[in-house]
Amino acid sequence: MYWRYCLKRIIYGLITFIILIFIFSTLFNTTMEKTLKSQIEEEIRAETLKMDTKMTPEEMTHFIAERRTFKQHLYHLDKPIWNRIVWRAINVLSLNFGKATIMKSSAGETDVWEIISECLPRTILLFTTAICINIILGLLLGLKKAQKAGGFMDKLTSIGTMVVYGMPSWWLGMLVIMFFAYQLRLFPSGSLHSIPPPTGLAYYIDLLYHMALPVLTLVVIGFWGSSYLIRNIVLGILQEDYIMATRTRGIPERKVLYGHAMRTAAPPIVTMALLSLLASVGGNIIFEGIFSWPGLGNLYWISIEQNDIPVLMGNLFITTALYMAGLVILDLIYGFLDPRIKVGGRR
Amino acid sequence: MIDNNIILRVKNLKIQFFTTKGVVYAVDDISFWLKKGETLGLVGESGCGKTTTVLGLVKMVPTPGKIISGSIEVDGENIIPLSENEMRNKVRWTKISMVFQGAMNCLTPVYTVGFQMMETLQKHKEIPYAEAKKRIINYLKLVGLSEDIIRRYPHELSGGMKQRVVIATALFLEPKIVICDEPTTALDVVVQAQIINLLKELKKKLGLSVIFITHDLATEAEVADRLIVMYAGKIAEIGTNENIYGNKKLSHPYTKKLIQATPRLHKKVDELSFIPGTPPDLVNPPTGCRFHPRCSEAIERCKKEEPPLIEVEKEHWIACWRIN
Amino acid sequence: MRWLDIKEGFRNFWKDFKSIKFGLFGLFLLFIFIVMVIINPYIVPFPNASSRWRDITHWEDNPVSAPPVWVNWFSSVKRAPSTIIKEYTFTEEKKGNLTLNKLIFEYEYFYDLPPLDIIFHSYVVGSPVIILSMERPDGQVITLTKRVISKIAGKDIRISIGNDSRTESYNFGMKYENPQQNRIERELIKPTKILFAEAKEGILVKPSSLQGTYKIMVDIILPSPNDQVSKSTLFISGGVSGWLGTDSAKRDIWSGIVAGVKWALLIGLLTAFTSVSIGVIFGVVSAYLGGWQDSLMQRIFEIFVGVPLLPVLIVMSAIFRPNIWTLIIMMSCFFWVGPVKTVRSMGLQIKEETYIEAAKAFGASSSRIIFRHMIPLLIPYSFASMALYVPSAIVYEASISLLGLGDATIVTWGQILHDALRGGAVINGLWWWVIPPGLFIALMGMTFAFIGFAMDKILHPKLRTR
Repeated sequence: MYWRYCLKRIIYGLITFIILIFIFSTLFNTTMEKTLKSQIEEEIRAETLKMDTKMTPEEMTHFIAERRTFKQHLYHLDKPIWNRIVWRAINVLSLNFGKATIMKSSAGETDVWEIISECLPRTILLFTTAICINIILGLLLGLKKAQKAGGFMDKLTSIGTMVVYGMPSWWLGMLVIMFFAYQLRLFPSGSLHSIPPPTGLAYYIDLLYHMALPVLTLVVIGFWGSSYLIRNIVLGILQEDYIMATRTRGIPERKVLYGHAMRTAAPPIVTMALLSLLASVGGNIIFEGIFSWPGLGNLYWISIEQNDIPVLMGNLFITTALYMAGLVILDLIYGFLDPRIKVGGRR
Repeated sequence: MIDNNIILRVKNLKIQFFTTKGVVYAVDDISFWLKKGETLGLVGESGCGKTTTVLGLVKMVPTPGKIISGSIEVDGENIIPLSENEMRNKVRWTKISMVFQGAMNCLTPVYTVGFQMMETLQKHKEIPYAEAKKRIINYLKLVGLSEDIIRRYPHELSGGMKQRVVIATALFLEPKIVICDEPTTALDVVVQAQIINLLKELKKKLGLSVIFITHDLATEAEVADRLIVMYAGKIAEIGTNENIYGNKKLSHPYTKKLIQATPRLHKKVDELSFIPGTPPDLVNPPTGCRFHPRCSEAIERCKKEEPPLIEVEKEHWIACWRIN
Repeated sequence: MRWLDIKEGFRNFWKDFKSIKFGLFGLFLLFIFIVMVIINPYIVPFPNASSRWRDITHWEDNPVSAPPVWVNWFSSVKRAPSTIIKEYTFTEEKKGNLTLNKLIFEYEYFYDLPPLDIIFHSYVVGSPVIILSMERPDGQVITLTKRVISKIAGKDIRISIGNDSRTESYNFGMKYENPQQNRIERELIKPTKILFAEAKEGILVKPSSLQGTYKIMVDIILPSPNDQVSKSTLFISGGVSGWLGTDSAKRDIWSGIVAGVKWALLIGLLTAFTSVSIGVIFGVVSAYLGGWQDSLMQRIFEIFVGVPLLPVLIVMSAIFRPNIWTLIIMMSCFFWVGPVKTVRSMGLQIKEETYIEAAKAFGASSSRIIFRHMIPLLIPYSFASMALYVPSAIVYEASISLLGLGDATIVTWGQILHDALRGGAVINGLWWWVIPPGLFIALMGMTFAFIGFAMDKILHPKLRTR
């Protein structure tokens, strides 16, 4: 039952993703080809410089034209437009993003995939940490709010949720840096680690030190929302008949709350947690930029500034892939946690 | 005076709800008793206070409700002053258990049936796992369910099966009192008949004392020995089935109308009779007898004074100025 | 659903809404924002801020990166605020063809740090000669600068003593300094610092403030009767300026912020309205049609859902460089997915109601059923959604602008923050540049959050605690 559900979901996800890649390829085809053409010219120029200069101007022109035709054929630029789009889409799906125009990875590679795969773990590290803390705080506070719903603390913290609702996390980051990093000089203003990075245990401590301000900012903005949502989910469940029935059976309140209620709340809460994580995959580009945190988000920023289209495109594709994968995993986990889906209907 | 035959005595119970629209006088000064081994029916329209009364018996009245005054004596002991902990450990399920209406939503959807039954059993009785499992299987058999129900989740069961599970759970601690709150209302007629037969069987086998709530007089007549008719938070009439259904003269006007409104299978019916008007607003209940606005036999006195319950014959009480 | 039903529904809704205090507070804040937009020209010193934001000449006279005026209240060292002096005493003398005008501006200076510049503006016809001089409280008169205008038909002129009176101030200051002891370069001095300082030794190195009434005198020689100099004003460019200070391009930040209010409201409300409308209609139609049409619509929906919004918006903005309207359309194209799932499940429930079946039996067309029977039930939910989408739309636009990809013809709070980041506001602690724009974004977000959450509370009475 569950396996069928999983399979169906994964296949849908893959199909949707492939369609999206095709749409992106179409949309950005012109731009990418422009970049490709100039890259070809660069390559040809480099080749001619390396060669013997014993050729006459006519021979030179002929040679360049020949090389150009060859390369255009290689990159399918001489084929009709649909052919080109399909070829590009297939390239992307096989993770062949081409070469960056200007940027380099820390190892000096210009392969876009290398550059991106370097940045990905850093983004995951930062946001997963922040979201874990958010969820823990959210659970603690949300449960308290649900138990004493309508009380003073509940109302007060709900107001808090609304106050930060429209506050951009990156703006708070700017303030935090301005104050803690530049005025008080307590924390570094960004980056992954100091230069040069220390080794051994000090490396990890240095990492934590650099993570402190961004994580703090994310948590301050984030935990209100998660506590409010958890409060609503749990409160909704606490009003269900089966909770009352369980209490009538004499089950102690602790078990009712942490056993029956929380277990039933697990699917929507996990959904919420994963959705926040997903939102951070794309939504925190600015945030990373402000803190100069060299993750995927920051990569967008830099590639825009430096006008490096291949990196931008590759990043977009990876982000979309991660996002879609996240959505599919979300559905799978939800299905696993909720027996109504996992086990299915009546026999 | 302790009457050993009486297992539950309710005296002057008052339950009120404090809402933003005002105080709702849901249960207003009712008194009754339940004898060992008898089935007491509790009938009335929706909103007359039946469910609130029985929830009060286990002190599970939902907020914003509160038990204001009165006493509830279970086996001679008044349970109203007991704390939540004491209720949980000593009264709920061990002395009084409940079979809810609309069993659709009585079981937590994320735990198996077996888990929930085991949880309840082990909470109240210190017995080893194997023995507990045996008892659960026995009771499941008693209600006509096979052993592998234990591994199922609630959504995998039909309405009738869920109701049986709930009945089994209500019985396996062998409580003194079992309250059934409209256990068959949400089920189709065939299943309804099965459940009623089951209940009758169990009653005989286990000698249960049962309070059976329903709004359907036919079911009540099948299952119960005595019945209480409630209206607008007050008791209108108490009596045995013979007294109430048999005697046409000594009857509360409301009861009369209820009996009239029940269609008979063998009689030809041209027009369904009904009781005109709607149940009263319990924030501002009518003065005097609460039924007087809808009563065809009302007199002046009914509008001003509330009639008390008076014994008109053996084991038959009526609260009506016309009768007295 | 008739008009009467809608009116009654609205009245009931308002009755419930009134009881939620923070909802009313949100409405009150919204009201203030709207009032700000309406009275915009009256509450800011630079009403044309929005259209002239990138025009350097419009902001010429302001100081660079000056803190707000109220900083003086908290500081022991008081800086002279920027002001405009429009009144002057005017005397005229005629000598044959020549006309001699004398304008005297009075400036009260009671601060510790002098203004950064004094700028004389005027509308000139012909070829007058303009001489500026200053009379200090200690009686000394210093000639500041002389400007000879060659024949012009009619033009605004601007004379800044901060630049033009360097030599004169230096000479004045050197009168009191010992050249052997203190060797000071003429190019390094700040003219206004000397002009407003006590005349004693150390005037060039460590000037101390000379407080009192200063008279700025403008002598105008008009060689021919047709020449004229009119509309003269004196602008004092101070160390502190405006309600929220100035940025590194001399722009008054308060003017910029107020100008941004209408754009934020526009972007937020338009995007929210458009996307929620599309989403709700899509969800309801999908639920109503059912079958393969429903499945198809859901697949389309899933494709849009799989798009990570901000990266795509950023890439599209980077490549296509949209203006504000295109941006709103782009955002709406993705925001609409939000309400669809909930609306569809609500729609599926409504579809099962018997009155829908009855309407179909009466021969009602699909669009009539959808728009007359189903959608009105979803209006409360739609409004709650719209309110909660406004802050998101505003933050998205701010994010795009922060990256420098926004619409350059208007001012939004995101753009101000972009300039702040570029202008080193964070590093240099120019808090009056960084805090206000983001604060206003947060405030407007808070406003709509209050309103939206209040509406949400009414819609979900189950979660009420009473």
